[in-house]
Amino acid sequence: MTVSMKRIYAIFQKDLKDLSKNLFVSSIVILPVLMAFMYSRMGDILDLHYLIINLTLASVTAFIQCAVIAEEKEKHTLRGLMLSPATLPEILTGKSLVSLILTIVTLVVCMMITGYEPANLVLISFVILLSCLFYLALGTLLGLLTKTVVEASVVILPFMFLFGFGSMLKPLVDDYAILGFVEYLPNTQLVELAYKIESGLGFGSLWSHLAIILTWVIVATILTIFVYRKREMDD
Amino acid sequence: MENVIEVNSLAKIFGNQTALENVSFNVKKGETLGFLGPSGSGKTTTIKILTGQLRPTSGEAHVFGLSTSSLKNKDFRKRIGVLTDNSGLYNRLSIYDNLKLYCDLYNVPTAKIDEVLRLVNLTDDQKKVVSKLSKGMLQRVLLARTLLHDPELLFLDEPTSALDPANSKHIHEGLRRLNDQGTTIFLTTHDMSEAETLCDRVAFLHKGKVQLLDEPKKLRRQYSDSTITVELKDGREIVLPGGSEGADTIYNYLSTDQVVSVHSNEPTLGDIFVDITGRELV
Repeated sequence: MTVSMKRIYAIFQKDLKDLSKNLFVSSIVILPVLMAFMYSRMGDILDLHYLIINLTLASVTAFIQCAVIAEEKEKHTLRGLMLSPATLPEILTGKSLVSLILTIVTLVVCMMITGYEPANLVLISFVILLSCLFYLALGTLLGLLTKTVVEASVVILPFMFLFGFGSMLKPLVDDYAILGFVEYLPNTQLVELAYKIESGLGFGSLWSHLAIILTWVIVATILTIFVYRKREMDD
Repeated sequence: MENVIEVNSLAKIFGNQTALENVSFNVKKGETLGFLGPSGSGKTTTIKILTGQLRPTSGEAHVFGLSTSSLKNKDFRKRIGVLTDNSGLYNRLSIYDNLKLYCDLYNVPTAKIDEVLRLVNLTDDQKKVVSKLSKGMLQRVLLARTLLHDPELLFLDEPTSALDPANSKHIHEGLRRLNDQGTTIFLTTHDMSEAETLCDRVAFLHKGKVQLLDEPKKLRRQYSDSTITVELKDGREIVLPGGSEGADTIYNYLSTDQVVSVHSNEPTLGDIFVDITGRELV
């Protein structure tokens, strides 16, 4: 299957223009930036840095992606794209680029505000990018499952809480066994991985975290493709 | 001539409701076929099956020789243009930006935008934001988008339903030109005059079944009662039988200069639809 960069870029360009006029959705980027300002006075605490990073991934990446997909469905424009020669990878890549770029810009701004300087910038950037893929798939999936932007904005809230603040529940896992799943959330894995990188540990200690995050990416992507295929039909 | 669409014993059932039942028809290359029927008769369902948006429950349909299960491929999509009730536009963008996206998706030069906007009478409005357009203008932009890549086969679901008579006429002229250039058109409508103006053949769809399928002229002739109405100068309207008996009477009126008009009493497509199905087309 050939992928047309021209089509991907056309969808990206359209989304960029559209989102610049949609303050309801794009203003969400203020949330992590405000949090970054608030926490910047509390010192260089890794947990706080990753609270902001995870919040950015859950709010900016997943929420914006969810809202733009839900709006395409609500306004019947997604069907227009589906009936065009654009393929599934072209449509979903094109539609993910704006969320991805906004995420990167927000993360850089937040890290500058909080003064976070990772011990291994390349590795941390790679893991955050990998996590982004999960949040993009999650946002796309929820956008495809909901009918309107308003519905999508409500449905994504528990996910934003779970993936934005879920890692903060980890200290409670010993007391409440039911919260055991928190240890396997991609956000928790990202924090643990960051701690190990800061301690100078090598790939041998990191691979299990990477594998768990990758599993989340793969499962969310498969589910997204399945639901997308279902949405191509009216049955 | 080659068939672009071939449909055999097509059926579609939603839950316990039959939307299409044993529907069979062909559309030849360069032909305009009109599907006429009231709301809920199965017109949109047929278009959705033929464009790969719905799976048939049973039966077969082929478009350009491809079965309905293979209609998702890129080359097929380049050959068709689809305008249905679930076509949408990006409200915050201008008409131009909406069409530019589709130029890029179909790899069509942006110069084509002017051409299609001329066809739908919107040349001077391309900078207008879609959210500010009237329903009729939206319909015309959607039609322009459908025509942007010069599709060989057009599926048009009620293309002029929201338009005023002047714009409908303009669109009809454009569609006739496209048809003259070889574009095949599959059209659904409940507008009789649209069907008469555009269609080479019409199919009457009622309760999911094709009740009749033929050329509009042939249908009108077939269902005509062969009478002639003569309007006289004294205000009377006289219905005469066709043939020599009526001809003699008309000759008498004509020779005494009493005639205002003479009309053969052919039924409209709407009359025939009511005759066949017992209900109005709207």
